[in-house]
Amino acid sequence: MSILSKMLKTKQKKRQDDNYKQKQDPQKPEDLPIFRDYQENIARIKEETGNSSDVNIREFKIGSHKGGLVFIDGLASDQAIADYILESVIEIEVPGGPIDIFQFMMDEAMALGNVKTIEDWNQVFDSLFSGNTVIFLQGCNKAISGETKGWEKRAISEPSTQLSIRGPKDSFTETLRTNTALIRRRIKSPNLRVDSMKIGTVSQTDIAILYIDGIANDKIVGEVKERLQRINIDSILGSGYVEQLIEDQTWTTFPTTYHSERPDVVTSHLWEGRIAIICDGTPFVVTVPAIFIQFFQAPDDYYSRFDISTGIRILRILAFLIAVIGPSVYIAATTFHQEMIPTTMAIAIAAQRESVPFPAFVEALIMEVTFEILREAGLRLPRAVGQAVSIVGALVIGQAAVQAGFVSPVMVIVVSITAIANFSTPVFAMAIAARLVRFVLMGLATVLGFYGIMLGLMFMTIHLCSLRSFGIPYMMPLAPFNLHNQQDAFVRFPVWAMKNRPMFISKGNMNRTGENQKPGPPKQSENQSKNGEE
Amino acid sequence: MKKFLLVMLVLIMFIPILSACWNQKELTDLAFVMALGIDRGDDNLYHVSFQLVNPANVSAGQTGGGQGLPIAVYKSKGRTITEAARNATKKVSRRLYYAHTNLVVVSEEVAKDRTLMLNLLDAFARDPEFRTTTEIVISRDASAEEIVTTLTILDKLPVTKITKELKFTEAMKGENMSISIDDLIDGIVGNGKEPIINGYKLIGMKEEANKAINLQKTTTDAFLAADGLAVMKDGALIDWIENKKSRGVIWILNKAKSTDITLKWNGKKNALSVAPIRSKTKVSTAFKNGKPVINIKIENEGWLSEANTAIDLMDPKTMGKIEKLTEKSIKKEVQSTVKEAKRLKCDIFGFGDVVHKANPNLWKKLKGDWNNYFANLEVNVKVDSYVRREGVRTNPFWSDINK
Repeated sequence: MSILSKMLKTKQKKRQDDNYKQKQDPQKPEDLPIFRDYQENIARIKEETGNSSDVNIREFKIGSHKGGLVFIDGLASDQAIADYILESVIEIEVPGGPIDIFQFMMDEAMALGNVKTIEDWNQVFDSLFSGNTVIFLQGCNKAISGETKGWEKRAISEPSTQLSIRGPKDSFTETLRTNTALIRRRIKSPNLRVDSMKIGTVSQTDIAILYIDGIANDKIVGEVKERLQRINIDSILGSGYVEQLIEDQTWTTFPTTYHSERPDVVTSHLWEGRIAIICDGTPFVVTVPAIFIQFFQAPDDYYSRFDISTGIRILRILAFLIAVIGPSVYIAATTFHQEMIPTTMAIAIAAQRESVPFPAFVEALIMEVTFEILREAGLRLPRAVGQAVSIVGALVIGQAAVQAGFVSPVMVIVVSITAIANFSTPVFAMAIAARLVRFVLMGLATVLGFYGIMLGLMFMTIHLCSLRSFGIPYMMPLAPFNLHNQQDAFVRFPVWAMKNRPMFISKGNMNRTGENQKPGPPKQSENQSKNGEE
Repeated sequence: MKKFLLVMLVLIMFIPILSACWNQKELTDLAFVMALGIDRGDDNLYHVSFQLVNPANVSAGQTGGGQGLPIAVYKSKGRTITEAARNATKKVSRRLYYAHTNLVVVSEEVAKDRTLMLNLLDAFARDPEFRTTTEIVISRDASAEEIVTTLTILDKLPVTKITKELKFTEAMKGENMSISIDDLIDGIVGNGKEPIINGYKLIGMKEEANKAINLQKTTTDAFLAADGLAVMKDGALIDWIENKKSRGVIWILNKAKSTDITLKWNGKKNALSVAPIRSKTKVSTAFKNGKPVINIKIENEGWLSEANTAIDLMDPKTMGKIEKLTEKSIKKEVQSTVKEAKRLKCDIFGFGDVVHKANPNLWKKLKGDWNNYFANLEVNVKVDSYVRREGVRTNPFWSDINK
């Protein structure tokens, strides 16, 4: 692995140089100050944007002073500009005599909530492309930026990838502000910190870092910020980019950052001391640090009773194991360890495989690959043809292949169980890791049988134990073992018994519940003694 | 240098995989040997019959399954079992696979010959594929080959019929019991206990047993049935213990679970039937004048399964009487079995082991000639029966008829 990374290093250097050049270009406007002549300013904007058709310019007069406002059509709200800027500018009476027209404009003429003075070209373009309106006045070497953001945005809808039965039904959207608001609404505490930064030299994507002061580990917060600041890339299209640029280990199939489209999940992570990274343009919020067992915790675990959610969680871990070793166990058992199969079952499998022309490994590979193709195709199909493909897929996999004698019915069962088990992992990032490991184990099982599977699983375990997510061991409550944090690992304790926040991830305020939170009918003796005191 | 080391490390990591598909065997390349039949030929070689399963004809569900015979038998001969097994590969298109072998049938002729019998066993105990939990039986009045080639009606695989039958007859009747190669070898090696082996008979028209037509009738022309226990001494068959007496062996060995006991009542024969459902046997030893005395204590609990006479079952005293009669009956049976074993001078009950555990020093003196000593051993039998209930009826209808 490290050899590969070394080979990549030289290439990376080159790329960094290229990036650097790209980075320089858009920063050119910074060099020039804002002109005193507003017309010159407007001309400059036209020149910089290449006379783009969506850049709207309107010149106006306030009293005897001339000026011009610029906004991007579609990003800024026409309504807001007309009602809160132009209307007041036209109707306002400007007192005669020498006045500071810039200050007057700022204080009296703008009926907007957020008005800022900007002094360099960088800020001009920045606020322009964020949907704000920039106003130049004749004779001022400053500009006013009024917040008139008003683009079309998707309404908050039900989550589409992380469903829950009892949980809230809202999910994040593509708009950063909506997302921070969704979290703010759930954490009514002044300790919730929302730090912002922009990443992407060209895209200038807004990023918000959320954490709860006093609960989150300051060291990790610092580390997250440092890693984010280190990013030097032309554009960020979504939180997936950020995730890949800040994770601890690239050479692994296991996700070391968590992402969710559910505000309740992200909020609960914040309460545990984790840090959320919201990226404008993505409805998926990244939370770090992430540990292995976290990927088996579904939101419903906490909304339903503890015994039920414990059972279901263990089932999920079992399903993950099936998804990882299912086909390889079949291969190993039928090609190496026939003595391990009960006699009648061995005969039944042998009978079914009698007409199959391929060795078990090839048979398994054909079925697995077919299924992966179907799944991949189904993911991207236009809705209108989706049904047709699923019918063809079901027929090909389920019936035709068996009837043609290419695969045995047992193999179909194995593949289906594996596939269904795979879907029971709550977070897709972990499910997809299982898919990859499965193929490696299939190869090992073909070569070495159960010995190979054990070898593969041992390597996997060692690898998992070596992973870190922002300094936190990936297998955290299990290795290193931590008794307190077992409350939310394999077993989900009753809510009143989940007393502590996860160790290391959270620092400082570790207690979640008060004393004697166990519910129950009032105790007779206690009541009597209390009455006596009264 | 560091790079070189890393490359080497990666290469070393691939070494386990370089063994390629060593030991890999596809299911479709295997012939499952379900049973082995061992006979002695006139040429003094082992004649081994391999009962192979034909998977497609056994498992239902598949279209076209169930047609044709579920088993095929191939024969080969050799001076040793291994030689015979290797010779068989000349006739079978697949690799013979013994991991699922559930039965070894040895002909009476082979069992009676000490060397032939002992030469068999090591091959089974040594082969990693072969399981020592495999059932072993001796064919009576038939060759092992005839037993192995017989088709059975209820279970498609004849092997399943034999192994399951032994298990259920052990539980429901108690005249035979499951005996594995392991048990047999233990018995042969130990001093304090001689092994027993189940006998199997092919009843009916032997020449029809291996034909499909045998399966087309409700009363098959030929069928297999357990019959008697073979008593082995010094690794060779010396005699058989038959039916009633064989039940005594199972009682003493603490393998009995349920059976049926028929009793006489007020002079009427076959009047009552008691079915024990739980039974426990304890064999202990006491020393009288430095001589071991064996005490057998059988405690069992059962129910009255038949009452074919006018009898007042509501009376606790009657129940007490029935219990006494049951005890007497069991005691008689066990005693007759002990007598039979003493006659054969063969300690099949493991009394020697009991003495060994109780007094190792004395055992050192006795073990050399234990079987002869056993012939004169004092054995006391005590039975404690309890009839818990009498089914869903109290007094039989007989009580009303006679009124």
